Amino acid sequence: MLSSILGTRIRQRRRELGTTQAELAKKVGISPSYLNLIEWNKRRIAGPLLGKIAGALDISLSELDDVAERRLSITLGEIAHLPALSGLGAEEERINELIGRFPGWARGIAALARSEREATERAYILSDRLSNDPFLSENVHRMLSRIAAIRSVSEIINDYSDIPDDRREQFDRIIFEESRALSDVAEALAVYLDKAEEGEKVFTPVDEVEALFQSRANHFEEIEHESAALGKKIGGQGLGMRRQAAFDAASAELSDTIDEIIRNQPQITTAAGERRARAQLIEYAAAAILLPMDAFKAAATSMKYDIEALSAEFACDTDIVCQRLTALPNDDSTPAFGYFRANAAGTIIRMHRLERLPVPRYAVACPLWVLFRAQQSPDMLFRQRAIFPSGARFVFIAKAISQSKIEYGTPRHYVTDMVAVSEDDAFETVYAPDDDTRLEEVGPSCRLCPREQCRHRVTDPLTDN
Amino acid sequence: MTARVLLAEDEENILTSLTFLLERAGYDVSVETEGPKVLRSALDTPPDVLVLDVMLPDMDGYEILRRLRASPTTRSLPVLMLTAKGQREDRETALRCGADLFITKPFANSEIISAIGQLAEKRVQ
Repeated sequence: MLSSILGTRIRQRRRELGTTQAELAKKVGISPSYLNLIEWNKRRIAGPLLGKIAGALDISLSELDDVAERRLSITLGEIAHLPALSGLGAEEERINELIGRFPGWARGIAALARSEREATERAYILSDRLSNDPFLSENVHRMLSRIAAIRSVSEIINDYSDIPDDRREQFDRIIFEESRALSDVAEALAVYLDKAEEGEKVFTPVDEVEALFQSRANHFEEIEHESAALGKKIGGQGLGMRRQAAFDAASAELSDTIDEIIRNQPQITTAAGERRARAQLIEYAAAAILLPMDAFKAAATSMKYDIEALSAEFACDTDIVCQRLTALPNDDSTPAFGYFRANAAGTIIRMHRLERLPVPRYAVACPLWVLFRAQQSPDMLFRQRAIFPSGARFVFIAKAISQSKIEYGTPRHYVTDMVAVSEDDAFETVYAPDDDTRLEEVGPSCRLCPREQCRHRVTDPLTDN
Repeated sequence: MTARVLLAEDEENILTSLTFLLERAGYDVSVETEGPKVLRSALDTPPDVLVLDVMLPDMDGYEILRRLRASPTTRSLPVLMLTAKGQREDRETALRCGADLFITKPFANSEIISAIGQLAEKRVQ
């Protein structure tokens, strides 16, 4: 338990009980001056002493170390570093005092910052979409072609007085046809942009599937349940064969369950979205068959989420372990994992988002992510302690693996998997950084990143100062 | 002698209008709508000017141009490239592949006639 708000709560509780520092210190067997340091959050405590203090104050451990307040403290710490607050002298060292004395205001500041961030992110997404969206660029192309024909033909009609009747009829027909087609394209664009304005976040098949996984926090209990039983039937042959057997079993046995999930998901509206959702759910089920959740969760906790150790323990590829980490049920005792997969061209082809981790939807990510370093040395695991412009800190773990059949003479195509975990959560894993671990400045993508001086910048940021 | 222009464009209506314009301007016009056929025709009987759309079925304009520039008979064939995307990278790609001139859709008729005139004149000299 590494809470920095803990001291404030101890002090508060002690005062409620009308106990003096000296009395409490004596009860738990420490000096009053040490208790004073603890109460002013200058010493971190854990283990037996914390238990003793909780006992002496007649309060449970969880009441003392409130997870929500711990998160609030981290959030306010990040807010203090926001560019908008620079130079205002926000007293970062007194955040815990703020939370302790004015919890409502503290939550209010965090809520304001969150809504500001959501609004900014939304602006970024829309702007990103405008410049990268295939639907838009294809339709703008169509529109320009239609206009080209209309303009050229109408200029001819205007410029030449001696056009034979049959030609003239042909030109009239072209203008008629093309202007109708133009109006269809324009209508499609208008509908599309309208939809974007409704605040509807679902746009493309990829987005539909992402929305499905997001709405279920990447955890499908019904699949977990059925997969657990199937797992026992999968034979113990080689890695590749087991993987294929799990995939086959998932496709054969779980298709009804998967269809049911897709049917009940309002975000899945297109046929392409449905195909994609089915393929990803089958993959999810195959991973669940290979690594049943109960056994996986127990092992993951005891091995401190060591990806390679888990991969050896369950005799499966590391990417399956990564997928399962993101599927761990969402509770306070389990770290929340994000997941990214990039192809060799650097495009992110799969992602499970993490709160506070800003990721561009349609553009390439920041080249400073360890993901891209891992790509250069396949089969080696890399760790990175990263700080974003918002001040949010993450630990990234990445490894590039070959996706093609491994045999002589066949070119290897690598994809890179990267798991992300907040620095706070990382302390519960083997990847916990220590004070000597280099903290690397990274960003979301150039367009979304305010670090103007970065030497890896390729496009101007969208933010104006 | 009448200069011969090969129009490589898959949009039928644009083709109709360009054919009309060029015939009125006194050119001998032939037409191809598919990538590989454009390449074959240009290699077999090089025109005086090639008007090449970037978006063609089966082989795009850039690839056709690259192959034409690799052949001795069409290395210096005057080529005017057409595209609907007016973005800078398209322009750069077109010029890098060896296009002499580059026009984006929608164009003014006078613009395209004058460009073709320029290229045909260069050919005659």
